[in-house]
Amino acid sequence: MNIVVCVKQVPDTDDIKWTKENNLDRSNMLSRINEQDEWAIDYAVSIKNKFKDVKISVISMGPMQVIDTLRYTLAKGADDAILLSDKFFSGSDTYVTAKILALGISKYLSGFDLILTGQMASDGDTAQTPVSLAQLLGIVDATNVVEIYNADKNNVLVSQKLGSVINMIEISTPCLVAVKNPCKEQTKPLIDDYIRAQDSHIKIIGSEDLSLDKEEIGIKGSPTMVYKAYRPEFVKDAVELKEDYIQQIVDFMVKVNE
Amino acid sequence: MAKIGVYLEVDEKNHCLNDVSFELLSKAKKMKNDAKKINLKDNEFDIIAIALSNDICQDSVKKAFSAGADYFVHIKDESLNVFNQIVFSLSFVEYFSSNPLDIIIFPATFQGRIVAPRITTLLETGLVADCIELDLIEKDEKIMLAATRPTFGSELMATILSKKNPQCATVRPHTFIAQFDEVADNFSDRFFEYNLKYPLQPTGLKILRSFFENVQDEYFENAKIVLAGGMGLYTGKNREYYEKLESLASKIGAKIGATRKVVDMNLMPKINQIGQTGSSVDADLYVAFGISGALQHVAGMKNSKKIIAVNVDENAEIFNYSDYKVVADAKKVIDDLIDYLNK
Repeated sequence: MNIVVCVKQVPDTDDIKWTKENNLDRSNMLSRINEQDEWAIDYAVSIKNKFKDVKISVISMGPMQVIDTLRYTLAKGADDAILLSDKFFSGSDTYVTAKILALGISKYLSGFDLILTGQMASDGDTAQTPVSLAQLLGIVDATNVVEIYNADKNNVLVSQKLGSVINMIEISTPCLVAVKNPCKEQTKPLIDDYIRAQDSHIKIIGSEDLSLDKEEIGIKGSPTMVYKAYRPEFVKDAVELKEDYIQQIVDFMVKVNE
Repeated sequence: MAKIGVYLEVDEKNHCLNDVSFELLSKAKKMKNDAKKINLKDNEFDIIAIALSNDICQDSVKKAFSAGADYFVHIKDESLNVFNQIVFSLSFVEYFSSNPLDIIIFPATFQGRIVAPRITTLLETGLVADCIELDLIEKDEKIMLAATRPTFGSELMATILSKKNPQCATVRPHTFIAQFDEVADNFSDRFFEYNLKYPLQPTGLKILRSFFENVQDEYFENAKIVLAGGMGLYTGKNREYYEKLESLASKIGAKIGATRKVVDMNLMPKINQIGQTGSSVDADLYVAFGISGALQHVAGMKNSKKIIAVNVDENAEIFNYSDYKVVADAKKVIDDLIDYLNK
């Protein structure tokens, strides 16, 4: 069984700093693997531990620093990794990102049975790329997955949580599963795993390898564009409640409950 | 005449439209009216409400017209009885191919989130997720959809344009407010049924079992008062003040909210989380105790009708989103409130 895991390197959003001009200060920004994508790796490894003949390939798109993230996934138990990296890829929106990933997967990992992704990335929060990728590859998807019970060459059994509804779903392969809950079995790489990962080969793929025209990728090729970005401004001028504020808060509560 | 399409979500059981449908229609109506002020030739828009379902309840149709629809298209087929993302997206695209739209607004519900990216990918166009504001603006002699969304964990707002039609966006429930106007009864000439030419059967995905769990969205449904706690209630040791918040809430029949940090630290369960990655609430009264006002939290509570913030830091961001502020230690205020109510 061949599993492909899509991962994204993201800025650590708990530690965002801003320049004086209200731009993101990227100079000292720490990067990490998107948390939910790490869960996807954990699920892949747990499937590999349970069944024979499972191969895990990791794919990512981003700058060359993403190699660090890919090495980490190799240390966690992935077998090989591909980095889609090209200066012309930068600025791609979710649609173009999905298009590049779909091309990379079709060309280099075409025998896949299951694609695993995180539900969303912490820096974008859109949850669109996995669904778009499934559409481009012409496969069925299950999103908001909280547990993967079984996976073989023909079927994947998962549970999905949609608000207050939990669905147990059987999906035929090839398919895409987006997870939003950590896997019970989490692998913590040991020193030996990191050493092994250092020796693994990471394939770097650019736009020419995928026969992509510069016009159809990156900022230029993306159907959406950022018109302006800003830090939200103050919206209200709060009235201060002074000495008798307890009484006033209670009055508000009583009024609403009437 | 340019066209704004609104994707409506139909409840599978009663065949009525979900509330978010009306919120989006009312927003579209407001956008359309604002566009008339733009001094360009093509500043008129029609709002097309589009529902995919085999059956649709007529009350909902009337309500859709009253919320803002100019036309209602019912895409009808037996294959649309049960939701399937592939069937729904291809069916929508079949309709679209003979009835193109300039703008499409989708609800960012579970259904919308998986169907919208498929539709826009099929149409080779973009999609802006979880918008908190939609405007029609003039750019390069054209009227375009300007869709604003929080990004980078809500630390940044980005206004995004689409270079291609249809220009598409998703909007979470409770982001906009539904407004119903009087509607004449003779809307039948503006209601169209579209029967699918190429209906599909779902393949590849089988729901074996479905069950309900009382969580998240339902917890805050129709909440009148929400008392929310942030890290300002943390003593550094235990849950003491979160427990006090719970007892205060039960005294006055309020729901309890919490910030992401509080939930991450297991001081409150996930079900209580309000914000970008939690629930959105539009309570009549929202009281924030010891909440600093991170944007990802504000995104989930700012639509509440009256907001009181209690924070010891007079410069706390939360005050910028509040109607009333109390500069005091939130822990003390909770103690005082409990004492007062015990009297």
